[in-house]
Amino acid sequence: MQKKRAYSFPDEVLEHVFSFIQSDKDRNAVSVVCKSWYEIERWCRRKVFIGNCYAVSPKMVIKRFPEVRSIELKGKPHFADFNLVPDGWGGYVLPWIGEMAGAYPWLEEIRLKRMVVTDESLELIAKSFKNFKVLVLFSCEGFSTDGLAAIAAGCKNLSELDLRESEVDDLSGHWLTHFPETCTSLVSLNISCLGSDEVSFSALERLVGRCPNLRSLRLNRAVSLDKIANILCLAPQLVDFGTGNYTTELRPDVLSNLTAAFSSCKELKSLSGFWDVVPAYLPALYSVCSRLTSLNLSYATIHSPEIIKLVSHCSSLQCLLVLDYIEDSGLEALASSCKDLQELRVFPSDPFGVEPNVSLTEKGLVSVSLGCPKLQSVLYFCRRMTNAALVTIAQNCPNFTHFRLCIIEPKTADYMTLEPLDVGFGAIVEHCKDLRRLSLSGLLTDRVFEYIGTYAKKLEMLSVAFAGDSDLGLHHVLSGCESLRKLEIRDCPFGDKALLANAAKLETMRSLWMSSCTVSFGACKLLGQKMHRLNVEVIDETEPPCSRPKSCPVDKLYVYRSISGPRSDMPPFVWTMDEEGTILH
Amino acid sequence: MSEVELQLCLALPTPNITKGFKFNLNNYHGFDHLKQMSCSGDKTSRVIKKRDFEHAFGNFSDDCNALPLLLWSGQPNEEDDNHNDRKKTTFVTDDMNDVEVDQVVGWPPIKSWRNRTCHHHHHHHHKRALGNGRSIYVKVKMEGVPIARKIDMRHYHSYQQLTNSLITMFTKNEKCDGDYNARYTLTYQDKEGDWLVAGDIPWHGFIRTVQRLKILSNWG
Repeated sequence: MQKKRAYSFPDEVLEHVFSFIQSDKDRNAVSVVCKSWYEIERWCRRKVFIGNCYAVSPKMVIKRFPEVRSIELKGKPHFADFNLVPDGWGGYVLPWIGEMAGAYPWLEEIRLKRMVVTDESLELIAKSFKNFKVLVLFSCEGFSTDGLAAIAAGCKNLSELDLRESEVDDLSGHWLTHFPETCTSLVSLNISCLGSDEVSFSALERLVGRCPNLRSLRLNRAVSLDKIANILCLAPQLVDFGTGNYTTELRPDVLSNLTAAFSSCKELKSLSGFWDVVPAYLPALYSVCSRLTSLNLSYATIHSPEIIKLVSHCSSLQCLLVLDYIEDSGLEALASSCKDLQELRVFPSDPFGVEPNVSLTEKGLVSVSLGCPKLQSVLYFCRRMTNAALVTIAQNCPNFTHFRLCIIEPKTADYMTLEPLDVGFGAIVEHCKDLRRLSLSGLLTDRVFEYIGTYAKKLEMLSVAFAGDSDLGLHHVLSGCESLRKLEIRDCPFGDKALLANAAKLETMRSLWMSSCTVSFGACKLLGQKMHRLNVEVIDETEPPCSRPKSCPVDKLYVYRSISGPRSDMPPFVWTMDEEGTILH
Repeated sequence: MSEVELQLCLALPTPNITKGFKFNLNNYHGFDHLKQMSCSGDKTSRVIKKRDFEHAFGNFSDDCNALPLLLWSGQPNEEDDNHNDRKKTTFVTDDMNDVEVDQVVGWPPIKSWRNRTCHHHHHHHHKRALGNGRSIYVKVKMEGVPIARKIDMRHYHSYQQLTNSLITMFTKNEKCDGDYNARYTLTYQDKEGDWLVAGDIPWHGFIRTVQRLKILSNWG
């Protein structure tokens, strides 16, 4: 009797089924079921996410997934945002574009984060991909408006151009004129990071006017307030809008025009921008406030009373970014007005000042934790904290997924008891069982790491600075945090023992960053020698680490797993240890 | 807390180096930490290294009128030439790319563009008259070191104090072996945009006019 194979569907059927599976995790699971599923899946995977551009080579990606339409790449380590990674470290996208230009002629989307993008890369994108639609450059650098002009001119079906937080060499606003008159496909345009004082405003207006599907528009500082009303009238369908400068001379017609323009935007849910705000113009927003789900006031130097007035209109608010000018009183008002709040970020207005310039303390965060039951994600800069406050916050908000607290002065103790903040953060990890991201600050001993290792089982990213007493702290984290993917540490007394004892753990993580710690060069060499699937990179700008005794601590260490071996684009100040123990440069 | 014996998967060839690096939690100062980190646990070499660097900057008298230049003649040595060559090829010390830091690099953890956009209004305060007691932030660069520092001139009352502080700040960048001789000049840019050698004018005049500082090395 012939055995009937239950799984002998034609490939096309399986492919069709797989097309409903979008998440990377699920696709990866599908691909390991059996050889034929692996084959079918790899031919129909359209979207690839590469969290570390050095973990794999472009050729390897192309070989396995020949029909990709969308790629996302991340380059530099997160601490590059705070100038801890020297210029020239790496993260170049050109080699990727070069390979993909030949292999993926139908590529539609490129999303990059913390990568070095050159005008040459942008020109190559514009030339190589006929159906290119989406370009997102998040915290990238290395390119100018000339490159943007090439994208504008060359990508006939461009729907998204998002330059968020990138550093662009802003040569002129005329790159906007390179969008042909036939371009009507824009859905999203974010140029908020551009600095230049002249933006070709007429080109912008014409572009906005002819793109009926434009949903998201974020302008840069160069666009003044009196121009905004015109733009909004041309695009009343906007869902997300970033103003430019929210200032101009006080004239009665500006306010009435602005008010009318905003009220015509019935779909508007998200606002940002607000540089140099003149409070007298804020009432123009009141008509849209009740629909707003997201508000970014983190550039707005307005004070607590004005913020309270604005925020108390925003009953649907889910996400608020704001400066600490909001103060504890403003946060209390927020807690009573915005019951749907899920994400709060409070930035310092005077981060380098020694004395507090505003009355923003632990009390503000406690109020919000009490009043906003849906709160999941917090980034909070403040100058003082207590264990009691943290325990209260943890108990009020067991649903936290992201908790980042930055007490500005390093090693600040609980200001009431003068104790370390171990217990407070311990409460956070104990109560918030879904916590995925945590940033620590304040005075902390090895004990906090013991709590983290014990409770933070879903933690994926941990940022540590000026904390801990000994290697035991690091050991608790590496041995206890099962879901850990990214660990970044600076200025902590963590050294060789914990690192070498948990070497195998590092292969289960994306990356580890340690700077100004006490890891010796000898340990780095050993790690690189023994762990073949890790790239162990030592960064030292003053001199080669091998010119000092092996016991000397390295300045900066970046360890990441990779299947493509040591990279070939290292600058002179980065050394890597290969299998033979030789130091590559 | 007693130290738990860690199961080592890999044998450690080097001796225990964790002693000597315990933090003194009561006296935290960013730069003390940096000084400790810059070398092995050998205390003597650290002291020697620091002394050499002080020689490099010379000694300022507290007298405002007799202000010597920041020079020290030491013996050049072969290693230093190589060191200098490598420095020349390694970094691009373009002013545009300078990293501005206050005391500790990258702390508080705020993206630099956020500082630029937000604290625009703070900058106006910095340039005002000195009488209002506000900080006077001045960028300090040392030749060959890519990372610039920012200091508040209000913290200093004499050239001596200033150079002592600069020594501390930039000691981290010197070689560990303590065998370092150098010639350095402290220069500043005044209100007119001219670069001058520091020490010519009385301190009070100096802080009214100084815009930026640069420490130049005078290799032969």
